[in-house]
Amino acid sequence: MNIRKTTLTPLPAKALLSDQLHPAQRGSPSAALQRFSSAGRGWLVALGGLILLALLPTIYDQLFGSSAGFELHRITLIGIFILAALAQNILTGYAAQPSLGNAAFFGMGGYMLAWLTNDLNQPYWVGIVVAMLVSAVLGIIIGGPALRISGAHLAIATLGLVFLTRSLLDLWDTTAGRQSYDLNNLPQFLTDDHALYFMIFAVVTITLFALYHLLLSRVGRAWIAIRDSEAAAEAFGVNVTRYKLLAFMVSAILTGLAGALYATWGTTATSTMSSADQTIAFLTMIVIGGLGSISGSVLGAVFVGFLPLLLGQLPNPLTIGPMQIQISTLTTGIYALFLLLTLIFFPTGLSSLIERGRMQIAGRIARQGGTPS
Amino acid sequence: MLAFLQVTLVGLVTGSLYGLFALGIVLVYRTTGVLNFAYGAIGAVCACFMYILLTGPHLNFWLACILALLFALVLGIVLERGFARPVLEAPIFTKAIATLALALVLQTVAQQVWPQLTSPVHFPTPFEGHALDIGGIYLSLIDLTVLIVTIVLTVSLNLFLSRTKLGIAMRATADGLSASRLMGVPVGLIFLFTWSLSALIAAIAGILLASEQGIIDVQFMDPVLLLAFVGAVLGGLDSLPGALIGGLLVGLADNLLALLLAGHSIGALAISDPGIRETLIFGGFILVLLLRPQGLLGRALLRRV
Repeated sequence: MNIRKTTLTPLPAKALLSDQLHPAQRGSPSAALQRFSSAGRGWLVALGGLILLALLPTIYDQLFGSSAGFELHRITLIGIFILAALAQNILTGYAAQPSLGNAAFFGMGGYMLAWLTNDLNQPYWVGIVVAMLVSAVLGIIIGGPALRISGAHLAIATLGLVFLTRSLLDLWDTTAGRQSYDLNNLPQFLTDDHALYFMIFAVVTITLFALYHLLLSRVGRAWIAIRDSEAAAEAFGVNVTRYKLLAFMVSAILTGLAGALYATWGTTATSTMSSADQTIAFLTMIVIGGLGSISGSVLGAVFVGFLPLLLGQLPNPLTIGPMQIQISTLTTGIYALFLLLTLIFFPTGLSSLIERGRMQIAGRIARQGGTPS
Repeated sequence: MLAFLQVTLVGLVTGSLYGLFALGIVLVYRTTGVLNFAYGAIGAVCACFMYILLTGPHLNFWLACILALLFALVLGIVLERGFARPVLEAPIFTKAIATLALALVLQTVAQQVWPQLTSPVHFPTPFEGHALDIGGIYLSLIDLTVLIVTIVLTVSLNLFLSRTKLGIAMRATADGLSASRLMGVPVGLIFLFTWSLSALIAAIAGILLASEQGIIDVQFMDPVLLLAFVGAVLGGLDSLPGALIGGLLVGLADNLLALLLAGHSIGALAISDPGIRETLIFGGFILVLLLRPQGLLGRALLRRV
């Protein structure tokens, strides 16, 4: 209560509103600072989210009974999507690199894990670490040439890399005489849906925490400076090359991790993990959630991961009055329509909705002379 | 040698189709700033409409063609007003993703309205079974049509953009939106016209592709779209001749690689596989971009401080 009072009363509500609603301002240092000052509430939200995540399996047990494990397994995928969306957002939303190459690391991470645990008989954790390391190296290798190309050219060129990776993985599969790379040597405990759920969401929580602090640090501010104006950042002594490469590397590591976890989740790695569809899904998540926003990545991953599940729950065929609609053939279209409408009405992403709501509350408080209602 | 010439000719034909597509993509991107991933779906829907006219009321091929092109013009207007206008001010990524969603919506609607087109069907044309023999090289009638249409369309589009008032207004809008608005260019109308024109080009390319392949379904343009994008970016993404040249290069590379790689294999892997060909094309494309980041005919990027 006291924190809110002291931070909000000195500022006129209008200035605060306009300042925060400007799209270019989201995620910028000033916005981050203002958000930091309301950290008390932020911690409450984070704590609430954690408790909800911890209780969700129990809720599911109550809701779905015997199929709770299956339903929980489907929800777990959203956690993996959150990791991939965060990775894409670091690269595209913060460091302003419109790279579509992340699916290459996604597939590579999955295959590395499969290779190490299956063929080299290494423990699971070694597989995960190597998958991340290989992705880091690849990220730097790809990031180097990417510094020369920009804009839409970079997007299509990196999409080409995804195709290259897919062909290489296909080649590996063909020469080894298999359809896809099955993970047969997973640790026993990961076959339990509950354990997998807790492991993946623990990873997501740690990543969120680490990224939040990374983005408030020198590195995060350098990325934001590069995004807002590369020339200005350079003039202020930001080593643009170094920080862009760093963005590629961090993004690649996270995507590699997400790929390895995805292979664990499905107990198989397939070359389709490196496909245009996959990389477009990542980009969709951050665009619909909000570029340059951590909460946006989470919201976007939930939208892309959860909406199809929800639409799958619709009765088939759906009966409205005298009409009978075959819903199963329409789900993709309905999903796309939702996506389209969301993009038309919230062009800066769903996270702007939260921001707007928060500012309306803040404005009301400020108008009432600092007495929170 | 004869085989080489034959393949080059076929490559030019496929390249023209890619080039036509790239032309429409570049037109919309330059004027309205939308990377239109729904372009394949737009062309496919128009070609599907023509198929319905041909098989349902058994219309004459040319009449159906004209009706399908009119349909494309209307579709372009509807899409500009209903889709492109509301997202006009949105960031470029939002627009690109929105076109992907639009493509899915268009395809779903088409599949619901014309369920017979969910799986590939035969596309009847009067060109079937006719071919020219030029000293041992065969050129089918539809391939000849593709080449002629591409040349006529490119030349007339170029004349239109450089000679007519409307065309000059379009180029001005592409150069600077607010400046041309201040000069009295009806920017809204220009956008409407651009989308309409690009939908028309998509429909022409779609109908030509369907006639050339002889089969059609709702998603038959999807594989072509990505290569057309490669062609457009290769040409520089802001130059119409560049788009055509980029498309031609991609088509030639595709067919010549198929000739070179046919029957060869490395170990268990048959490298004549279309996937490998696509990979090589992408590899070459990335190399070209590394050497010329702005594309073959694109303007060099200026860095303003």
